[in-house]
Amino acid sequence: MSILKHKPILLLVGLIAATFVLAGCDSSSSDKDSDEMVLRHALFTKLKGLDPGNMRDVYSVTVASQICETLYQYHFLKRPYEIVPLLAEQMPQISDDFLTYVIKIKKGVYFQDDKCFPGGRGRELKAEDFVFAVKRIANIKYLSQNWSMFDGKIVGLDEFREYTKGCESEDDVDYAREVEGLTASDEHTLVIKLKKTWPQLVGTALADIATAPIAKEAVFSYGKDIVSHPVGTGPFVLKVWHRGSYVELVRNPKFRGEPYPGEGEASDAEAGYLDDAGKIMPFADRVVWTVIEEYQPAWLLFLQGKLDNSPIPKDNYNEAITETRELTPVMKQRNIRLKKFLDPSTFWLGFNMQDPVLGSNKPLRRAISYAIDRDKFIEIFFNGRHLVAHGFIAPLMDSYDPNIKEKGYARYDPEKARELLKEAEQIHGRALPELKMAIPGTDSFSRQLGQFLKRYVTAVGLDVEVEYMDWPTYMEKVNTRSAQMFSSGVRASIPDAEDFLGMFYSKYWAPGSNRFNYLNPEFDRLYEKIEVMFDSPERKELYRKMELLVLEDCPAAFLNHRVVFALHHDWYKNYKPHAFAYGMSKYRRIDMKKRAEYKKLLKTIK
Amino acid sequence: MTAYIIRRLLYTIPIVFGVLMLTFVLFTLVGGDISLEIAGKGATQETIDEIREEYGFNKPLFLAWDSQFINHFKSALTFDFGRARDREPIIGKIKRGVGPSLALTVPMFFGVVIISVSLALVVAFVHGSIWDISAVFICVAGMSIPYLSFILFGQYFLAYKWGVFPVFFSPDLTMAQYVALPALIGIVAGLGGNLRFYRTVMLDEMRSDYVRTAFAKGLDTKRVLFKHVLKNAMIPIITRVVLAIPFLFLGSLLLERFFGIPGLGYLMIGAISSRDYFVINAMTYISAILFVVFNLITDICYSLVDPRVSLE
Repeated sequence: MSILKHKPILLLVGLIAATFVLAGCDSSSSDKDSDEMVLRHALFTKLKGLDPGNMRDVYSVTVASQICETLYQYHFLKRPYEIVPLLAEQMPQISDDFLTYVIKIKKGVYFQDDKCFPGGRGRELKAEDFVFAVKRIANIKYLSQNWSMFDGKIVGLDEFREYTKGCESEDDVDYAREVEGLTASDEHTLVIKLKKTWPQLVGTALADIATAPIAKEAVFSYGKDIVSHPVGTGPFVLKVWHRGSYVELVRNPKFRGEPYPGEGEASDAEAGYLDDAGKIMPFADRVVWTVIEEYQPAWLLFLQGKLDNSPIPKDNYNEAITETRELTPVMKQRNIRLKKFLDPSTFWLGFNMQDPVLGSNKPLRRAISYAIDRDKFIEIFFNGRHLVAHGFIAPLMDSYDPNIKEKGYARYDPEKARELLKEAEQIHGRALPELKMAIPGTDSFSRQLGQFLKRYVTAVGLDVEVEYMDWPTYMEKVNTRSAQMFSSGVRASIPDAEDFLGMFYSKYWAPGSNRFNYLNPEFDRLYEKIEVMFDSPERKELYRKMELLVLEDCPAAFLNHRVVFALHHDWYKNYKPHAFAYGMSKYRRIDMKKRAEYKKLLKTIK
Repeated sequence: MTAYIIRRLLYTIPIVFGVLMLTFVLFTLVGGDISLEIAGKGATQETIDEIREEYGFNKPLFLAWDSQFINHFKSALTFDFGRARDREPIIGKIKRGVGPSLALTVPMFFGVVIISVSLALVVAFVHGSIWDISAVFICVAGMSIPYLSFILFGQYFLAYKWGVFPVFFSPDLTMAQYVALPALIGIVAGLGGNLRFYRTVMLDEMRSDYVRTAFAKGLDTKRVLFKHVLKNAMIPIITRVVLAIPFLFLGSLLLERFFGIPGLGYLMIGAISSRDYFVINAMTYISAILFVVFNLITDICYSLVDPRVSLE
């Protein structure tokens, strides 16, 4: 019997297949907007919200910082990073005792138009808006994640927080209630009075998106929905946010316009970063972020020219980069550009210093540190791109010690590790028990990472059980101080190593940033000293001294510092790597002619 | 039949109560306190306490009118699931995700069922021929290939290399455009298992006496296959098909993630990874209700297609 007798059924199957092909035909191009300058990026995780007062994740900040602005920002081109005014007229006037900051606000800055305003027209920004932004963070009913930034720092603000505890809800708080250390002396002057000197006030708080003013009319009008209605003063406004899918911003017609910087590093002119000097920003009409949580589609879209820039997925590294760490001919043929830059980050295998086995056994911790081959680790997991972390202060920092390699225990020396383990056993009084290592993630990368670390630690004679867990479970384990060893890392939010040092201050034990639950009275004493010191050679020396104190106690086996390899198309202009890259879309420009040429080029390549 | 339906509907009450109890115990007692996580890095104890109060984590678990379980129960019954951890109303998230999820899973579902049942009829009819053996071989091969491979292969060749479909969701595309490739992949990946199952069902029927009788009486193949074999094979088909319908609501996790389809599968996995119990609870509860309802529909369908089945 022949199957061909059943033509109707076969036809049906064929018809269904044809329907799918016709329905999906990629006839529509993503460039319906060919006359518009559109920046296209990928977001590798979903946005959590766009309310500046209560966000800490990098992706939400990346988007929100195009809509809301801060008083200060880091200069786009100058290195070392320099803080410059954004909504402030100038740098703050600081009193002789360093306790009072007077900040003049730019005049003629308007909030975007929004229906929350009378007549829908955005009003002028006032100093009172900054007062409101900080008081809102202090309001305990708002449950902001940013309160720790201000805790115990501004005169009267802690008392305001106490007052909010007695309020019924977030809406019952009287924001007109006076806070002595946070006032608007006139419409365009903000006065901040501190309880003790806070050298990082400008860099940490006033350049942080948390303090970016969001119109109070919007806060009261939208209530809890403010997370999806950010009303700011920035160059772009939110047009569409399809949660979990894509975000589209369009140019803010009320934006005052800002000139592109005319100064930078010596090499900037040659690199073309000064071509737009003095031109009024923003250049782009729209900015679109598509949420792409898997690397393959992001990479394919980048190669198709539907994304302007892309990181290099581990699996596509050899396709993009040669053994000499340059672009492959395939990438060059596509006029793709490579940017390499240091990221202010450090990663480690942490030890819980309150753990009865690890906490009281320094030789054991050192043995584990000596057991890990960091070069191999970087070669396997990061294609050899990253740098070995001999300490925790990242190389990008001014206080990074170039001789740190000689001073720490981040060396691969299995013999030394075995010797130390004998000593560790004597301290423990019997054979060392099996140790547990918490790895955040259950994906293949996490499992490979766990297997790698286990392989090296067991090779020197220790028993290790690797526990893979999802991020929330991992966080709970670390926050409740029940993780014995844990893989983790941190990225500095400001160009100052204080972020790194704070991880070892005993008052910040978990659930604070000191997840090692490390305690060293001498370190604490020095931390309290540097916390109130302005930048100086003396402070830098103290930073280095504190790092050595930590390395001596070995609360972690430091592993690597990230080096970013990023690709972008040649049409994507003014893409200078910036470690604190918030509010960058206003600088970017698209060379429309080159983008159009890429489409023709693709046809020839295919 | 009415009495049967009413009785079955009454059975749903303890089932739904059980589901609510189970999710509550799993997420509240076993899952632990999520206040620390919501509070963020460096939060003070007072902030954590305030979060507990805001979310009601400081209330008694069971033994009070205002207990956490009673509130959990009330919110489920009124379908007022509150807000997710990102402060968006959960019901809004679900409503938004249903469309894209169904746009993907419904064509996938019908595609798989229509193609596999049709092909199963054909290959069962030509049982033992080279066509049948080839079909079985292809089915086994298809079942052995990981689902992810179908996705990676389809996305790379059909979308990127040959440009027949878009690689990923884009707001410029119509829904038909961005779900076509994932739906096609879903159909191809699902064919192996389904075709084998339906082929077995059809073969069981083909070997029945009534089929031989029908052919002996001189009925043509089309009439035997569609009028007799297919009808008698409907019980296992209905069981498989109708009980699969509630899962359509949950979307397809991998396909949605790889093609950026903002559906409920994507929502669910996001909620699991961020431990958003409020969303997980809502989705579990709705799924349980759908499952119970479709179970009942399956039983009713049995009596409709097979007069030998009566509902008592």
